[in-house]
Amino acid sequence: MRRTVILYFKLIGIQIRSQLEYRVSFLMDVVSTFILNFSYFVALALILERFGTVAGWTLGDLAFLAGLAEMGFGLMDLVFSGFDPDGFSQFVRLGKFDQMLLRPVNISLQVFGSRFLVRRLGRFVEGCVIFGIGAGLAHIQWTLGKVLYLPVVLLSIVAGMGALFVVGGTLIFWTVQPVVVVNIVTYGGNELMSYPITIYPRWIQGFFTYVIPLVFLNYLPGLYFLNKPGLLDFPPIFSFAAPFAAALMLFLAFQFWRFGLKHYQSTGT
Amino acid sequence: MRYIWQLVKNSFRMQATYRTALLAGLLTNLFFGFLRAAVMLALYQGQTSVNGMSIGTAVSYVAVSQGLIAFLTIFGYFDVMRSVYSGDVAADLIRPASLFTTWMGRDIGRSIVNLIVRGVLLMAIFSFFFDVVLPTSLLQWVWIGFSLLLAWGISFCWRFLVNLASFWTPDATGVGRMAFALSQLMCGFILPLRLLPDWFTHLANFTPFPSMMNSPVEIYLGILNGSQLFSAIFAQVLWLGLLYVVCRVVLAAGIKKLVIQGG
Repeated sequence: MRRTVILYFKLIGIQIRSQLEYRVSFLMDVVSTFILNFSYFVALALILERFGTVAGWTLGDLAFLAGLAEMGFGLMDLVFSGFDPDGFSQFVRLGKFDQMLLRPVNISLQVFGSRFLVRRLGRFVEGCVIFGIGAGLAHIQWTLGKVLYLPVVLLSIVAGMGALFVVGGTLIFWTVQPVVVVNIVTYGGNELMSYPITIYPRWIQGFFTYVIPLVFLNYLPGLYFLNKPGLLDFPPIFSFAAPFAAALMLFLAFQFWRFGLKHYQSTGT
Repeated sequence: MRYIWQLVKNSFRMQATYRTALLAGLLTNLFFGFLRAAVMLALYQGQTSVNGMSIGTAVSYVAVSQGLIAFLTIFGYFDVMRSVYSGDVAADLIRPASLFTTWMGRDIGRSIVNLIVRGVLLMAIFSFFFDVVLPTSLLQWVWIGFSLLLAWGISFCWRFLVNLASFWTPDATGVGRMAFALSQLMCGFILPLRLLPDWFTHLANFTPFPSMMNSPVEIYLGILNGSQLFSAIFAQVLWLGLLYVVCRVVLAAGIKKLVIQGG
Protein backbone atom coordinates (compact mmCIF):
# COMPACT_ATOMS: atom_id res chain seq x y z
CA MET A 1 0.00 0.00 0.00
CA ARG A 2 2.72 2.44 1.00
CA ARG A 3 4.68 1.57 -2.09
CA THR A 4 1.61 2.28 -4.22
CA VAL A 5 1.11 5.71 -2.70
CA ILE A 6 4.76 6.60 -3.18
CA LEU A 7 4.67 5.41 -6.75
CA TYR A 8 1.52 7.42 -7.46
CA PHE A 9 3.07 10.61 -6.16
CA LYS A 10 6.22 9.94 -8.13
CA LEU A 11 4.24 9.59 -11.35
CA ILE A 12 2.27 12.75 -10.60
CA GLY A 13 5.46 14.56 -9.67
CA ILE A 14 6.93 13.86 -13.10
CA GLN A 15 3.77 15.19 -14.74
CA ILE A 16 3.78 18.38 -12.68
CA ARG A 17 7.45 19.07 -13.22
CA SER A 18 7.22 18.68 -16.98
CA GLN A 19 4.21 20.98 -17.14
CA LEU A 20 5.87 23.62 -14.99
CA GLU A 21 8.87 23.64 -17.33
CA TYR A 22 7.26 26.33 -19.49
CA ARG A 23 6.35 28.66 -16.67
CA VAL A 24 4.77 31.52 -18.60
CA SER A 25 2.60 29.38 -20.80
CA PHE A 26 1.58 27.32 -17.80
CA LEU A 27 0.47 30.41 -15.91
CA MET A 28 -1.38 31.69 -18.96
CA ASP A 29 -3.16 28.34 -19.20
CA VAL A 30 -4.30 28.43 -15.58
CA VAL A 31 -5.40 32.06 -15.79
CA SER A 32 -7.25 31.58 -19.09
CA THR A 33 -9.04 28.46 -17.81
CA PHE A 34 -10.09 30.53 -14.81
CA ILE A 35 -11.36 33.43 -16.91
CA LEU A 36 -13.18 31.23 -19.41
CA ASN A 37 -15.26 29.51 -16.75
CA PHE A 38 -15.64 32.61 -14.62
CA SER A 39 -17.18 34.59 -17.48
CA TYR A 40 -20.25 32.33 -17.28
CA PHE A 41 -20.68 33.30 -13.65
CA VAL A 42 -20.24 36.98 -14.52
CA ALA A 43 -23.02 36.65 -17.09
CA LEU A 44 -25.29 35.07 -14.47
CA ALA A 45 -24.57 37.85 -11.98
CA LEU A 46 -25.32 40.45 -14.67
CA ILE A 47 -28.62 38.94 -15.75
CA LEU A 48 -29.79 38.66 -12.13
CA GLU A 49 -29.55 42.45 -11.90
CA ARG A 50 -32.66 42.45 -14.05
CA PHE A 51 -34.41 39.30 -12.87
CA GLY A 52 -33.45 38.99 -9.20
CA THR A 53 -33.67 35.22 -8.83
CA VAL A 54 -33.73 31.92 -10.70
CA ALA A 55 -36.86 30.17 -9.43
CA GLY A 56 -36.46 31.87 -6.05
CA TRP A 57 -32.72 31.20 -5.76
CA THR A 58 -30.68 34.40 -5.29
CA LEU A 59 -27.22 35.01 -6.72
CA GLY A 60 -25.70 33.91 -3.40
CA ASP A 61 -27.63 30.62 -3.34
CA LEU A 62 -26.77 29.90 -6.96
CA ALA A 63 -23.11 30.80 -6.46
CA PHE A 64 -22.96 28.43 -3.50
CA LEU A 65 -24.43 25.60 -5.55
CA ALA A 66 -22.39 26.33 -8.68
CA GLY A 67 -19.18 26.94 -6.73
CA LEU A 68 -19.49 23.60 -4.98
CA ALA A 69 -20.08 21.82 -8.29
CA GLU A 70 -17.17 23.64 -9.94
CA MET A 71 -14.74 22.93 -7.11
CA GLY A 72 -15.68 19.27 -7.21
CA PHE A 73 -15.50 19.04 -10.97
CA GLY A 74 -12.24 20.97 -11.15
CA LEU A 75 -10.60 18.71 -8.60
CA MET A 76 -12.01 15.61 -10.28
CA ASP A 77 -10.78 16.83 -13.65
CA LEU A 78 -7.32 17.06 -12.14
CA VAL A 79 -7.21 13.71 -10.34
CA PHE A 80 -9.05 11.70 -12.99
CA SER A 81 -7.29 13.30 -16.00
CA GLY A 82 -5.95 9.87 -16.95
CA PHE A 83 -9.44 8.46 -17.40
CA ASP A 84 -10.74 11.53 -19.27
CA PRO A 85 -12.22 9.83 -22.36
CA ASP A 86 -10.77 12.45 -24.72
CA GLY A 87 -7.23 11.87 -23.45
CA PHE A 88 -7.56 8.16 -22.84
CA SER A 89 -8.80 7.64 -26.38
CA GLN A 90 -5.51 8.97 -27.74
CA PHE A 91 -3.67 6.88 -25.24
CA VAL A 92 -5.26 3.68 -26.52
CA ARG A 93 -4.95 4.67 -30.16
CA LEU A 94 -1.23 5.40 -29.90
CA GLY A 95 -0.58 2.09 -28.18
CA LYS A 96 0.63 3.70 -24.95
CA PHE A 97 -1.92 1.71 -23.02
CA ASP A 98 -0.35 -1.51 -24.31
CA GLN A 99 3.00 -0.37 -22.91
CA MET A 100 1.40 0.06 -19.50
CA LEU A 101 -0.07 -3.41 -19.55
CA LEU A 102 3.45 -4.81 -19.85
CA ARG A 103 4.63 -3.19 -16.64
CA PRO A 104 4.37 -5.09 -13.36
CA VAL A 105 2.34 -2.38 -11.64
CA ASN A 106 -1.40 -2.10 -11.05
CA ILE A 107 -2.94 -0.80 -14.24
CA SER A 108 -5.48 1.55 -12.64
CA LEU A 109 -2.71 3.20 -10.67
CA GLN A 110 -0.75 3.74 -13.88
CA VAL A 111 -3.73 5.31 -15.59
CA PHE A 112 -4.23 7.62 -12.60
CA GLY A 113 -0.60 8.61 -12.81
CA SER A 114 -0.47 8.91 -16.59
CA ARG A 115 -1.99 12.34 -16.85
CA PHE A 116 -2.34 15.14 -14.35
CA LEU A 117 -3.29 18.37 -16.05
CA VAL A 118 -2.23 21.04 -13.61
CA ARG A 119 -3.82 23.81 -15.64
CA ARG A 120 -7.17 22.45 -14.57
CA LEU A 121 -6.30 23.96 -11.24
CA GLY A 122 -7.72 27.10 -12.84
CA ARG A 123 -11.15 25.60 -12.75
CA PHE A 124 -10.81 24.52 -9.13
CA VAL A 125 -9.63 27.97 -8.08
CA GLU A 126 -12.52 29.51 -9.99
CA GLY A 127 -14.90 27.18 -8.15
CA CYS A 128 -13.38 28.28 -4.82
CA VAL A 129 -13.87 31.95 -5.68
CA ILE A 130 -17.50 31.43 -6.72
CA PHE A 131 -18.12 29.29 -3.65
CA GLY A 132 -16.63 32.00 -1.45
CA ILE A 133 -18.84 34.63 -3.02
CA GLY A 134 -21.85 32.36 -2.58
CA ALA A 135 -21.14 31.48 1.02
CA GLY A 136 -20.75 35.19 1.78
CA LEU A 137 -23.84 36.43 -0.06
CA ALA A 138 -26.11 33.60 1.07
CA HIS A 139 -25.32 34.22 4.76
CA ILE A 140 -24.93 30.54 5.53
CA GLN A 141 -25.58 29.78 9.18
CA TRP A 142 -22.58 27.59 9.78
CA THR A 143 -23.01 24.80 12.29
CA LEU A 144 -20.54 22.11 13.26
CA GLY A 145 -22.50 19.64 11.17
CA LYS A 146 -22.23 21.82 8.07
CA VAL A 147 -18.51 22.42 8.54
CA LEU A 148 -17.89 18.71 8.87
CA TYR A 149 -20.18 17.72 6.02
CA LEU A 150 -18.76 20.20 3.48
CA PRO A 151 -15.53 18.29 2.70
CA VAL A 152 -17.56 15.07 2.52
CA VAL A 153 -19.82 16.58 -0.13
CA LEU A 154 -16.82 17.92 -2.04
CA LEU A 155 -15.13 14.52 -2.09
CA SER A 156 -18.43 12.91 -3.07
CA ILE A 157 -18.67 15.14 -6.13
CA VAL A 158 -15.05 14.29 -7.01
CA ALA A 159 -15.75 10.56 -6.66
CA GLY A 160 -19.16 10.59 -8.36
CA MET A 161 -18.06 12.65 -11.34
CA GLY A 162 -14.81 10.68 -11.46
CA ALA A 163 -16.90 7.52 -11.77
CA LEU A 164 -18.42 8.97 -14.95
CA PHE A 165 -14.92 9.59 -16.33
CA VAL A 166 -13.96 5.99 -15.52
CA VAL A 167 -17.06 4.68 -17.32
CA GLY A 168 -16.31 6.96 -20.28
CA GLY A 169 -12.71 5.76 -20.32
CA THR A 170 -13.77 2.11 -20.17
CA LEU A 171 -16.05 2.53 -23.17
CA ILE A 172 -12.93 3.50 -25.13
CA PHE A 173 -11.87 -0.19 -24.97
CA TRP A 174 -14.68 -0.98 -27.41
CA THR A 175 -15.22 2.27 -29.30
CA VAL A 176 -11.65 3.69 -29.36
CA GLN A 177 -13.27 7.07 -30.10
CA PRO A 178 -14.75 9.00 -27.16
CA VAL A 179 -18.51 8.47 -26.82
CA VAL A 180 -20.46 11.72 -27.01
CA VAL A 181 -23.15 10.76 -24.56
CA VAL A 182 -20.47 10.53 -21.89
CA ASN A 183 -19.42 14.13 -22.50
CA ILE A 184 -23.04 15.20 -22.25
CA VAL A 185 -23.33 13.44 -18.90
CA THR A 186 -20.03 14.78 -17.49
CA TYR A 187 -19.77 18.35 -18.76
CA GLY A 188 -23.53 18.66 -19.16
CA GLY A 189 -23.97 17.14 -15.70
CA ASN A 190 -21.66 19.72 -14.21
CA GLU A 191 -23.60 22.51 -15.93
CA LEU A 192 -26.85 20.96 -14.70
CA MET A 193 -25.59 20.81 -11.11
CA SER A 194 -24.94 24.55 -11.15
CA TYR A 195 -28.69 25.26 -10.90
CA PRO A 196 -31.48 23.83 -8.73
CA ILE A 197 -32.55 20.67 -10.51
CA THR A 198 -36.24 21.50 -10.17
CA ILE A 199 -36.01 24.04 -13.03
CA TYR A 200 -35.36 21.31 -15.60
CA PRO A 201 -37.93 19.29 -17.54
CA ARG A 202 -39.22 16.15 -15.78
CA TRP A 203 -37.32 13.67 -17.97
CA ILE A 204 -33.99 15.39 -17.30
CA GLN A 205 -34.71 15.39 -13.55
CA GLY A 206 -35.64 11.72 -13.64
CA PHE A 207 -32.54 10.77 -15.58
CA PHE A 208 -30.18 12.56 -13.19
CA THR A 209 -31.95 11.10 -10.16
CA TYR A 210 -32.47 7.45 -11.00
CA VAL A 211 -30.03 6.65 -13.83
CA ILE A 212 -27.12 8.89 -12.93
CA PRO A 213 -27.83 10.13 -9.42
CA LEU A 214 -26.15 13.55 -9.59
CA VAL A 215 -29.01 15.13 -7.67
CA PHE A 216 -27.70 13.49 -4.47
CA LEU A 217 -24.23 14.97 -4.94
CA ASN A 218 -25.03 18.65 -5.08
CA TYR A 219 -28.66 19.78 -5.08
CA LEU A 220 -29.91 17.82 -2.05
CA PRO A 221 -26.82 18.56 0.10
CA GLY A 222 -27.14 22.20 -1.04
CA LEU A 223 -30.61 22.39 0.49
CA TYR A 224 -29.13 21.44 3.85
CA PHE A 225 -26.40 24.10 3.71
CA LEU A 226 -28.78 26.82 2.54
CA ASN A 227 -31.63 25.78 4.87
CA LYS A 228 -34.00 25.50 1.93
CA PRO A 229 -37.07 23.30 1.70
CA GLY A 230 -36.84 20.76 -1.11
CA LEU A 231 -39.31 20.60 -3.94
CA LEU A 232 -38.57 16.97 -4.79
CA ASP A 233 -40.20 13.99 -3.10
CA PHE A 234 -37.15 13.33 -0.93
CA PRO A 235 -37.29 13.87 2.84
CA PRO A 236 -34.52 16.15 4.25
CA ILE A 237 -32.46 13.15 5.41
CA PHE A 238 -31.53 12.55 1.77
CA SER A 239 -29.31 15.63 1.97
CA PHE A 240 -26.83 13.29 3.59
CA ALA A 241 -26.92 10.65 0.88
CA ALA A 242 -24.05 12.19 -1.09
CA PRO A 243 -21.23 9.90 0.11
CA PHE A 244 -23.37 6.78 -0.38
CA ALA A 245 -24.40 7.74 -3.89
CA ALA A 246 -20.80 8.60 -4.76
CA ALA A 247 -19.39 5.40 -3.29
CA LEU A 248 -21.92 3.33 -5.20
CA MET A 249 -21.14 5.15 -8.44
CA LEU A 250 -17.40 4.74 -8.04
CA PHE A 251 -17.74 1.08 -7.08
CA LEU A 252 -19.87 0.26 -10.13
CA ALA A 253 -17.60 2.28 -12.38
CA PHE A 254 -14.53 0.31 -11.33
CA GLN A 255 -16.41 -2.98 -11.67
CA PHE A 256 -17.14 -1.93 -15.25
CA TRP A 257 -13.50 -0.89 -15.72
CA ARG A 258 -12.32 -4.33 -14.60
CA PHE A 259 -14.81 -5.98 -16.93
CA GLY A 260 -13.58 -3.77 -19.77
CA LEU A 261 -9.95 -4.60 -19.09
CA LYS A 262 -10.67 -8.30 -19.57
CA HIS A 263 -12.17 -7.58 -22.96
CA TYR A 264 -9.54 -5.14 -24.11
CA GLN A 265 -8.05 -5.75 -27.51
CA SER A 266 -5.21 -3.57 -28.69
CA THR A 267 -5.69 -1.35 -31.72
CA GLY A 268 -2.46 -2.81 -33.05
CA THR A 269 -0.41 0.37 -33.01
CA MET B 1 -11.31 32.80 -57.28
CA ARG B 2 -10.96 29.23 -58.53
CA TYR B 3 -8.39 28.71 -55.81
CA ILE B 4 -10.81 29.78 -53.08
CA TRP B 5 -13.58 27.67 -54.59
CA GLN B 6 -11.31 24.63 -54.44
CA LEU B 7 -10.47 25.27 -50.78
CA VAL B 8 -14.14 25.70 -49.95
CA LYS B 9 -15.01 22.47 -51.70
CA ASN B 10 -12.24 20.56 -49.93
CA SER B 11 -13.11 21.82 -46.48
CA PHE B 12 -16.80 21.17 -47.11
CA ARG B 13 -16.04 17.56 -48.02
CA MET B 14 -13.67 17.10 -45.12
CA GLN B 15 -16.19 18.38 -42.59
CA ALA B 16 -19.03 16.36 -44.10
CA THR B 17 -16.95 13.18 -43.92
CA TYR B 18 -16.77 13.12 -40.13
CA ARG B 19 -20.40 12.20 -39.59
CA THR B 20 -20.02 10.91 -36.04
CA ALA B 21 -18.22 14.09 -35.01
CA LEU B 22 -21.01 16.16 -36.52
CA LEU B 23 -23.66 14.13 -34.75
CA ALA B 24 -21.69 14.40 -31.51
CA GLY B 25 -21.55 18.17 -31.81
CA LEU B 26 -25.23 18.35 -32.65
CA LEU B 27 -26.27 16.29 -29.61
CA THR B 28 -24.06 18.25 -27.24
CA ASN B 29 -25.27 21.63 -28.50
CA LEU B 30 -28.83 20.38 -28.27
CA PHE B 31 -28.55 19.14 -24.69
CA PHE B 32 -26.89 22.32 -23.47
CA GLY B 33 -29.64 24.18 -25.32
CA PHE B 34 -32.25 22.37 -23.23
CA LEU B 35 -30.44 23.29 -20.04
CA ARG B 36 -30.12 26.93 -21.07
CA ALA B 37 -33.77 27.11 -22.10
CA ALA B 38 -34.80 25.75 -18.69
CA VAL B 39 -32.70 28.42 -16.96
CA MET B 40 -34.32 31.06 -19.15
CA LEU B 41 -37.82 29.87 -18.23
CA ALA B 42 -36.87 29.86 -14.55
CA LEU B 43 -35.56 33.42 -14.84
CA TYR B 44 -38.78 34.73 -16.40
CA GLN B 45 -41.02 32.93 -13.86
CA GLY B 46 -44.28 34.06 -15.39
CA GLN B 47 -43.11 37.54 -16.42
CA THR B 48 -44.26 37.90 -20.01
CA SER B 49 -41.78 40.42 -21.32
CA VAL B 50 -38.51 41.93 -20.13
CA ASN B 51 -36.87 44.85 -21.94
CA GLY B 52 -38.68 44.12 -25.20
CA MET B 53 -38.04 40.40 -25.11
CA SER B 54 -40.91 38.00 -24.48
CA ILE B 55 -40.36 34.65 -22.82
CA GLY B 56 -40.99 32.81 -26.10
CA THR B 57 -38.46 35.02 -27.87
CA ALA B 58 -35.92 34.44 -25.11
CA VAL B 59 -36.21 30.66 -25.45
CA SER B 60 -35.91 31.02 -29.23
CA TYR B 61 -32.80 33.14 -28.65
CA VAL B 62 -31.27 30.15 -26.87
CA ALA B 63 -32.15 27.84 -29.76
CA VAL B 64 -30.72 30.15 -32.44
CA SER B 65 -27.54 30.96 -30.52
CA GLN B 66 -26.91 27.26 -29.81
CA GLY B 67 -27.42 26.60 -33.51
CA LEU B 68 -24.83 29.22 -34.45
CA ILE B 69 -22.03 27.91 -32.18
CA ALA B 70 -20.36 25.80 -34.85
CA PHE B 71 -21.14 28.12 -37.77
CA LEU B 72 -19.48 31.06 -36.02
CA THR B 73 -16.91 28.90 -34.14
CA ILE B 74 -17.86 30.65 -30.91
CA PHE B 75 -15.79 28.47 -28.58
CA GLY B 76 -12.50 29.32 -30.16
CA TYR B 77 -10.26 28.59 -33.07
CA PHE B 78 -6.60 27.69 -32.95
CA ASP B 79 -5.96 26.25 -36.42
CA VAL B 80 -3.81 29.10 -37.70
CA MET B 81 -1.59 29.22 -34.64
CA ARG B 82 -1.17 25.48 -34.72
CA SER B 83 0.09 25.71 -38.30
CA VAL B 84 2.50 28.45 -37.28
CA TYR B 85 3.93 26.31 -34.48
CA SER B 86 4.16 23.15 -36.56
CA GLY B 87 5.78 24.98 -39.45
CA ASP B 88 3.01 24.09 -41.91
CA VAL B 89 2.51 27.80 -42.36
CA ALA B 90 5.57 27.78 -44.61
CA ALA B 91 3.71 25.70 -47.19
CA ASP B 92 0.72 28.02 -46.98
CA LEU B 93 2.88 31.08 -47.55
CA ILE B 94 4.00 29.91 -50.97
CA ARG B 95 0.41 29.44 -52.15
CA PRO B 96 -0.97 31.78 -54.83
CA ALA B 97 -3.04 33.76 -52.32
CA SER B 98 -2.51 35.48 -49.01
CA LEU B 99 -2.62 33.56 -45.75
CA PHE B 100 -5.87 35.34 -44.90
CA THR B 101 -7.60 34.18 -48.09
CA THR B 102 -6.34 30.62 -47.75
CA TRP B 103 -7.64 30.22 -44.23
CA MET B 104 -10.89 31.97 -45.11
CA GLY B 105 -11.45 29.48 -47.90
CA ARG B 106 -10.88 26.61 -45.50
CA ASP B 107 -13.29 28.11 -43.01
CA ILE B 108 -16.16 28.71 -45.45
CA GLY B 109 -16.77 25.09 -46.34
CA ARG B 110 -16.62 23.95 -42.75
CA SER B 111 -19.00 26.69 -41.67
CA ILE B 112 -21.57 25.86 -44.34
CA VAL B 113 -21.74 22.22 -43.26
CA ASN B 114 -22.06 23.32 -39.63
CA LEU B 115 -24.79 25.82 -40.46
CA ILE B 116 -26.86 23.08 -42.01
CA VAL B 117 -26.23 20.18 -39.63
CA ARG B 118 -25.61 21.86 -36.32
CA GLY B 119 -27.78 24.92 -37.13
CA VAL B 120 -30.86 24.10 -39.13
CA LEU B 121 -31.13 20.53 -37.88
CA LEU B 122 -30.67 21.63 -34.28
CA MET B 123 -33.43 24.21 -34.60
CA ALA B 124 -35.73 21.62 -36.12
CA ILE B 125 -35.22 19.15 -33.27
CA PHE B 126 -35.35 21.92 -30.69
CA SER B 127 -38.77 23.00 -31.92
CA PHE B 128 -40.19 19.59 -30.96
CA PHE B 129 -39.49 20.44 -27.31
CA PHE B 130 -39.96 24.21 -27.20
CA ASP B 131 -41.82 26.75 -29.31
CA VAL B 132 -39.26 28.33 -31.62
CA VAL B 133 -40.02 31.56 -33.49
CA LEU B 134 -39.99 31.18 -37.27
CA PRO B 135 -39.79 34.29 -39.47
CA THR B 136 -42.58 34.44 -42.04
CA SER B 137 -41.72 37.19 -44.48
CA LEU B 138 -39.31 36.59 -47.33
CA LEU B 139 -37.75 40.01 -46.83
CA GLN B 140 -36.86 39.15 -43.26
CA TRP B 141 -35.16 35.95 -44.43
CA VAL B 142 -33.09 38.01 -46.85
CA TRP B 143 -31.97 40.31 -44.05
CA ILE B 144 -31.21 37.31 -41.84
CA GLY B 145 -29.07 35.76 -44.54
CA PHE B 146 -27.20 39.01 -45.16
CA SER B 147 -26.65 39.62 -41.46
CA LEU B 148 -25.42 36.06 -40.88
CA LEU B 149 -22.95 36.45 -43.72
CA LEU B 150 -21.59 39.64 -42.17
CA ALA B 151 -21.51 38.00 -38.74
CA TRP B 152 -19.52 35.13 -40.16
CA GLY B 153 -17.04 37.57 -41.73
CA ILE B 154 -16.60 39.45 -38.47
CA SER B 155 -16.15 36.19 -36.59
CA PHE B 156 -13.54 34.98 -39.04
CA CYS B 157 -11.56 38.24 -38.96
CA TRP B 158 -11.63 38.26 -35.16
CA ARG B 159 -10.48 34.65 -34.93
CA PHE B 160 -7.76 35.16 -37.52
CA LEU B 161 -6.53 38.26 -35.73
CA VAL B 162 -6.32 36.42 -32.40
CA ASN B 163 -4.39 33.62 -34.08
CA LEU B 164 -1.87 36.10 -35.48
CA ALA B 165 -0.58 36.50 -31.91
CA SER B 166 1.33 33.31 -32.66
CA PHE B 167 3.66 35.31 -34.91
CA TRP B 168 4.92 37.16 -31.87
CA THR B 169 4.82 34.71 -28.97
CA PRO B 170 5.94 31.07 -28.72
CA ASP B 171 2.65 30.01 -27.09
CA ALA B 172 -0.49 31.96 -27.89
CA THR B 173 -3.09 29.44 -26.70
CA GLY B 174 -3.57 31.21 -23.37
CA VAL B 175 -4.02 34.58 -25.05
CA GLY B 176 -6.42 32.97 -27.49
CA ARG B 177 -8.52 31.35 -24.80
CA MET B 178 -8.87 34.64 -22.96
CA ALA B 179 -9.79 36.48 -26.14
CA PHE B 180 -12.46 33.91 -26.99
CA ALA B 181 -13.82 34.03 -23.42
CA LEU B 182 -14.23 37.77 -23.86
CA SER B 183 -15.98 37.49 -27.21
CA GLN B 184 -18.32 34.75 -25.94
CA LEU B 185 -19.55 37.01 -23.18
CA MET B 186 -19.70 40.25 -25.19
CA CYS B 187 -21.37 38.83 -28.31
CA GLY B 188 -24.44 37.76 -26.39
CA PHE B 189 -23.80 34.05 -26.66
CA ILE B 190 -23.82 33.20 -22.95
CA LEU B 191 -26.91 35.30 -22.35
CA PRO B 192 -28.83 37.74 -24.60
CA LEU B 193 -27.31 41.23 -24.33
CA ARG B 194 -30.77 42.77 -24.10
CA LEU B 195 -31.39 41.01 -20.79
CA LEU B 196 -28.10 42.15 -19.23
CA PRO B 197 -27.82 45.54 -17.47
CA ASP B 198 -27.91 48.59 -19.76
CA TRP B 199 -24.42 49.74 -18.82
CA PHE B 200 -23.01 46.39 -19.92
CA THR B 201 -24.85 46.43 -23.24
CA HIS B 202 -23.61 49.98 -23.91
CA LEU B 203 -20.08 48.83 -23.19
CA ALA B 204 -20.47 45.84 -25.49
CA ASN B 205 -21.74 48.09 -28.26
CA PHE B 206 -18.33 49.74 -28.43
CA THR B 207 -16.89 46.39 -29.52
CA PRO B 208 -17.41 44.36 -32.70
CA PHE B 209 -18.80 41.43 -30.70
CA PRO B 210 -22.56 42.20 -30.68
CA SER B 211 -22.35 42.33 -34.50
CA MET B 212 -20.97 38.81 -34.39
CA MET B 213 -24.02 37.16 -32.85
CA ASN B 214 -26.49 39.35 -30.97
CA SER B 215 -27.51 41.38 -34.05
CA PRO B 216 -28.26 38.51 -36.45
CA VAL B 217 -30.13 36.61 -33.73
CA GLU B 218 -32.26 39.65 -32.91
CA ILE B 219 -32.96 40.17 -36.60
CA TYR B 220 -34.03 36.54 -36.83
CA LEU B 221 -36.33 36.95 -33.84
CA GLY B 222 -37.90 40.07 -35.33
CA ILE B 223 -36.86 42.30 -32.42
CA LEU B 224 -35.01 44.69 -34.72
CA ASN B 225 -37.18 46.42 -37.32
CA GLY B 226 -36.97 49.46 -39.59
CA SER B 227 -34.27 51.92 -38.61
CA GLN B 228 -32.96 49.68 -35.82
CA LEU B 229 -32.39 46.91 -38.32
CA PHE B 230 -30.56 49.25 -40.68
CA SER B 231 -28.29 50.58 -37.98
CA ALA B 232 -27.49 47.03 -36.83
CA ILE B 233 -26.54 46.01 -40.38
CA PHE B 234 -24.61 49.24 -40.83
CA ALA B 235 -22.63 48.54 -37.67
CA GLN B 236 -21.89 45.03 -38.95
CA VAL B 237 -20.57 46.37 -42.28
CA LEU B 238 -18.46 48.93 -40.49
CA TRP B 239 -16.92 46.42 -38.08
CA LEU B 240 -16.25 43.93 -40.83
CA GLY B 241 -14.41 46.57 -42.87
CA LEU B 242 -12.41 47.74 -39.89
CA LEU B 243 -11.45 44.26 -38.72
CA TYR B 244 -10.46 43.28 -42.24
CA VAL B 245 -8.08 46.23 -42.51
CA VAL B 246 -6.59 45.48 -39.09
CA CYS B 247 -6.10 41.83 -40.07
CA ARG B 248 -4.26 42.85 -43.23
CA VAL B 249 -1.99 45.33 -41.46
CA VAL B 250 -1.14 42.96 -38.62
CA LEU B 251 -0.59 40.06 -41.02
CA ALA B 252 1.82 42.13 -43.13
CA ALA B 253 3.75 43.13 -40.01
CA GLY B 254 3.74 39.57 -38.72
CA ILE B 255 5.03 37.97 -41.89
CA LYS B 256 8.04 40.29 -41.88
CA LYS B 257 8.82 39.07 -38.38
CA LEU B 258 8.07 35.37 -38.81
CA VAL B 259 10.95 32.98 -38.61
CA ILE B 260 10.18 29.44 -39.70
CA GLN B 261 12.19 27.00 -37.68
CA GLY B 262 13.40 24.12 -39.75
CA GLY B 263 11.69 20.87 -39.02
